[in-house]
Amino acid sequence: MCDIIWCKKEVGGKPCDTINYLDPYCFWNWEGKINCAECGTVYYIHMIQGFMYKGPEEKPGEKPDTSPLYADKPYDGYSNYRPGVEGRTRPFQCIPRAKLLGVADKVKFSIRGRPVRGWRPQPPSAGLAGSFGFNWDIQKLSPEVWEEYQKKLAAGEVKDW
Amino acid sequence: MAQDPRVTRMEDLPGPKSKGEMDEFKMPYEEYCKKLFDVGNEHTKPKPLNGIRWLSCTMYIFTPHAVANLAELGAEVIKLEIPRMGEPMRHTSPFNEVYLYPFHDARPMTGTGLGYTNANPNKYFVTMDYHIPEMREVFYSLVKKSDGLTELYRPGTLDKWKMSYRYLSEINPRFIYVWGGGFGYGPKVFGGSYDILGQAHAGLASITGMHEYMGGHCSKCTNWIIDWQSGTLISCAIMSAIHHRRKTGLGTMIEFSQVQVPTRMLGHTTTMYGKFGIVRQRWGNWDTQLAVHGIILCGKSDFPDADNPQDKHDARYVMVSAFQDQDFKELCDITGLKELYDKYKVYKDRVEGEAQLEIYTALEKWAADKSRSQVAKILTDAGILAEPVRNDREVYESQHYRERGTVRWMDDPIFGDMVVHGGYSTGLMEKSPRRINWHWRPLGADNKKIYRDLLGVPLTKIEEWYKKAYI
Repeated sequence: MCDIIWCKKEVGGKPCDTINYLDPYCFWNWEGKINCAECGTVYYIHMIQGFMYKGPEEKPGEKPDTSPLYADKPYDGYSNYRPGVEGRTRPFQCIPRAKLLGVADKVKFSIRGRPVRGWRPQPPSAGLAGSFGFNWDIQKLSPEVWEEYQKKLAAGEVKDW
Repeated sequence: MAQDPRVTRMEDLPGPKSKGEMDEFKMPYEEYCKKLFDVGNEHTKPKPLNGIRWLSCTMYIFTPHAVANLAELGAEVIKLEIPRMGEPMRHTSPFNEVYLYPFHDARPMTGTGLGYTNANPNKYFVTMDYHIPEMREVFYSLVKKSDGLTELYRPGTLDKWKMSYRYLSEINPRFIYVWGGGFGYGPKVFGGSYDILGQAHAGLASITGMHEYMGGHCSKCTNWIIDWQSGTLISCAIMSAIHHRRKTGLGTMIEFSQVQVPTRMLGHTTTMYGKFGIVRQRWGNWDTQLAVHGIILCGKSDFPDADNPQDKHDARYVMVSAFQDQDFKELCDITGLKELYDKYKVYKDRVEGEAQLEIYTALEKWAADKSRSQVAKILTDAGILAEPVRNDREVYESQHYRERGTVRWMDDPIFGDMVVHGGYSTGLMEKSPRRINWHWRPLGADNKKIYRDLLGVPLTKIEEWYKKAYI
């Protein structure tokens, strides 16, 4: 499911009629303000378990907390704003819903203290057409994690289970 | 064999042939099994499906899992994904927070979510926009070199693209073609499906969960069991098709509707309706055929001071089984509920709905001042089958699973340290076991391997396709 804010604000004598799509993961339990990608009108919403509990209510003059992921105008031949248009839509960055305005949980070590590639960005493959070599040479590709790993080994923090 | 068939030689008879073998035969059975299956050394043994090459135009869990079974058994599986995007399951992760990076060179800030787990090990990951006419011949050349394909598009979609069984079997008559999807032909031929839809459509959800008058609702099984189960059943069909082909030399088409799978898992439900007109009801954590044989709630958690609510509040359930008359007597003795035994001495009386209500209520009352492990210990010591309902952490820490290799750590060649279970939870095989070589690989990781090494496409062409987003 994907909830929407259908902006009907009068702009230049006719309704804005833009559909602003809300990425469900981020808005599943969320309260805050969000802008219309077309006319910039700020709306307050409160969603609980994916249900639009309050709003959308116009909040003129206030700053939005975030932007929709995508928006389109069905009466205008479905012209649209793709994710990541500055000032209109936000980029899709896998930001966790619980920390919408923060960063994703990233890990460098598994629960037993060995390196795992759970952080970004990672170095590119250097292969052709996205192809990858069949080995993560951690010492070469992620030297800082390698060093941290050596310290963990020396401190006896690396376990079998 | 002996030269003369009338001569019996000791070495032709069954049984040990040498002192060493005799010693082996004398091993305690458990040791013998351990040696036979040699858990942890799966990679030193042959792969049962070595030599089979399979194509996969699949997404989510159901159809990818059908092919993952082949890949774990040693088939060379080539998964074709949409360039730059990959299949949707790569972007699916529990609460959108658990990712492994990198995803693809073109998207350095994106990862593959752990939702991809278990349905994609050991596969080769290739990108191809196979629906455009420019790539059709490339797709055909893969078909010529492969044993089969699994796809999941709406019925007729691949036919529209000239990639359905009737086209592919002309190119490769030994080709096995699998369609796995929602409804298949019939009144809802274009209906798509998800696991939950299957559970609802086939009535499985209606008999899962507690009855409404006991505070329950119909429930779906949280983890998508119809997806996993349907995938496994497709794998069975593929094995049969391979065997059929060995005999006839001809490929075949398999059409597999996901929503029909839960009907198989309904047990007696439909047959009972056919015979007596009885519509089966939900009976939750208890059992309609056996009593006592269910899960009860204890009063105290095993981990009252834990931070994790799953430990703190939920470690309170125990499974109890004492449906035979003697076991039930013992259960009543140990719990001090002798009047229950006097009332329900016979199995047929106990299994009645009202009796079960009374028995389970009394048991939960008895367990109200005890913790889960106390209850399990009291009952187990009395010779009654009882087992705590474990959570993930307890499964991870379980010595049983560790010793059998069901849960184990592996050093994934690309992503590093990972705990895995899927491939090793499917039984042990002595001579040709399953194995996990890698969890998954980034999108398009094997483009060069497949396009150049397998199909002989020059690197300049591959680069050109990449720039045009054909691959």
